[in-house]
Amino acid sequence: MSTENAIELRGVSKRFEEVTAVAEFNVEIRQGEFFSLLGPSGCGKTTTLRMIAGLEQPTEGEILLEGTDVSGTPAYRRNVNTVFQDYALFPHMSVRKNIYFPLKMKKVPLSEAAPRIERVLRLVNMEGFANRLPQQLSGGQRQRIALARSLVNEPAALLLDEPLGALDFKLRVAMQKVLKDIQRNVGITFIYVTHDQSEAMTMSDRIAVMKDGVTHQIDTPDRIYNNPATAFVASFIGDMNFLGGRVTENRGASCTLEIGKARVTASREVPLRAGEEALVCIRTERVQINPHREVANVLEATLERIVYRGTDYEATCRPAGAPEGAEVRAIIQAVAWDPQLRVGDRVQVAWSGEDVIVFPAAEAGDVIRYSGEAG
Amino acid sequence: MARQGTSFREFIKGIPITVWLLALVVVPLGFTFVMSFYSSSGLMIDTRLTLLNYRRFFTDSLYPRILFKSMRLALLISMLSIAAAFPLAYLVSFKIRRGRNFLFMLCIIPLWVSYLVRIIAWRTILGNRGVINSALMAIGLIREPITVFLYNQFAIAITLTYICIPFVFIPLYTALEKIPRNLLDAANDLGANEVRTFVNVVLPLSLPGLITGFIFSFIIALGDYIIPLQLGGTEGIMFGNLVWSQFGFAFNWPFGAALGFILFVIAVVILGVTARFGTTEGGFLGE
Repeated sequence: MSTENAIELRGVSKRFEEVTAVAEFNVEIRQGEFFSLLGPSGCGKTTTLRMIAGLEQPTEGEILLEGTDVSGTPAYRRNVNTVFQDYALFPHMSVRKNIYFPLKMKKVPLSEAAPRIERVLRLVNMEGFANRLPQQLSGGQRQRIALARSLVNEPAALLLDEPLGALDFKLRVAMQKVLKDIQRNVGITFIYVTHDQSEAMTMSDRIAVMKDGVTHQIDTPDRIYNNPATAFVASFIGDMNFLGGRVTENRGASCTLEIGKARVTASREVPLRAGEEALVCIRTERVQINPHREVANVLEATLERIVYRGTDYEATCRPAGAPEGAEVRAIIQAVAWDPQLRVGDRVQVAWSGEDVIVFPAAEAGDVIRYSGEAG
Repeated sequence: MARQGTSFREFIKGIPITVWLLALVVVPLGFTFVMSFYSSSGLMIDTRLTLLNYRRFFTDSLYPRILFKSMRLALLISMLSIAAAFPLAYLVSFKIRRGRNFLFMLCIIPLWVSYLVRIIAWRTILGNRGVINSALMAIGLIREPITVFLYNQFAIAITLTYICIPFVFIPLYTALEKIPRNLLDAANDLGANEVRTFVNVVLPLSLPGLITGFIFSFIIALGDYIIPLQLGGTEGIMFGNLVWSQFGFAFNWPFGAALGFILFVIAVVILGVTARFGTTEGGFLGE
């Protein structure tokens, strides 16, 4: 059984009248995997989760839970439980009654349920709160109770719909650890919906990045970060420089491009032929200023803006010969920052060939631009 | 410790509601209460205080008996109104997506039709040559009109239920609308089908509306005297009719005031008892 997939989606689509909320979703999620659905709001991630839960029916495709097709099985008969965004604790029931609810629905007598309730309360570190009412708890505490309530039935998978969205930053980070620890302890498959890329990156085994119902990439966090499948993924995760250019020569393992009059070499496979318009991407933290060692790409530039951000500096440079508006941002660790640098200085911006990711220029419209760190 | 300015402002804010309550509730009730200790001789009212009216109520078994009969009927009417209004409110609130407001208006539109018109309408339905009898005769079930529909408690119950349904529907619908929909998803997700979701989540959370609806309908049904008069026939004398006849025919206002005050006390007791159950947080159904 353990080699079986916990959840499998085969060509799952959901349309609400004319709007396609989810298009052709295919994925196999392994037992015990921490799988995230990541994307901006309205990308279809919550709809996907609700279809797995059985709260929405797919328009097309099938959903398999532990190898069994559950299309047509109502939510109350599916062996998955959801942690809702605003917890959905029953306000008229104590914490104990809330956690007992799923067991009561399975006709488990209270005497048998009591030790199980105690166990999940211990798991979420909420012993001693059993007699409280939900409105007597803080947001983080309610979150833990919602988690305990969903875990008490030992579901095949736990579905979490932005469970930390309503919490403030510090609590969110703390709860991320709690969730990850619990997931490791109980070994249950987690399907985790979030719009927070750093949350998805730090917690997940794999991430599905979605936009407008379309799955752009399903992969491990490091592959998503280092080898984004589309310009949207590249822009949504991490901080990226985008420059418009044209392929001048494609030699398979490497490729030469021009950005205005500047030349850039990419040491990766590029899916474009010579002469085609390209979107050139470089991670901001990969850009060096006045490099000590020799790297493949060195551009003359003018330092236009310096922003001190505590642990690092953000330096914005304008490469010489690049088209109007093109700029390269570099994130330099504060300890590595050259304090002599001033706005207006002539500098060299540099990066290696492996750091250049190239997409067709047509994907430029998918790029999400945001300044600084999200969240 | 409130500063003097704040408490003065609080005092000013309290004036309108105090005046309102005094003028419309406390003073009239006080008059009734005081008058219930007067007595009546002929057409004159004797203002010497006496317990005569209350003694008369408790010694003559007629009055408690009619009060009991009225309360029993009012209880039945409340139950019928709830039984009719709950499925309606549930459907409109949970099952209908489009045109909900329109349906809500339809449900309360009887309130805009004159009370008397609605009573006459029910007479037309229940009467000897009424809708029911004509229909039964037309399909050949009966030859002669049957008289069991009108001028009895059945007629009072059905008409008052009809009158009360909107008053139950409105608070129930409001309570149902307030239930967060994700609680239904959660119950469904945690293994409850629609029936068990209703019993375990919807019903306990709609309790405040249910209690309010019950109080409205019970008090309306208990105090009404026009429907018993119009449709109740001889067995239809209710407590409201007793109160009314003391003011209207017998010119015994003090005794009428005493009967009215007893009705008031009953209403207050019901309010007090039901208020305990009217809270959703840890209320008795939550256990």
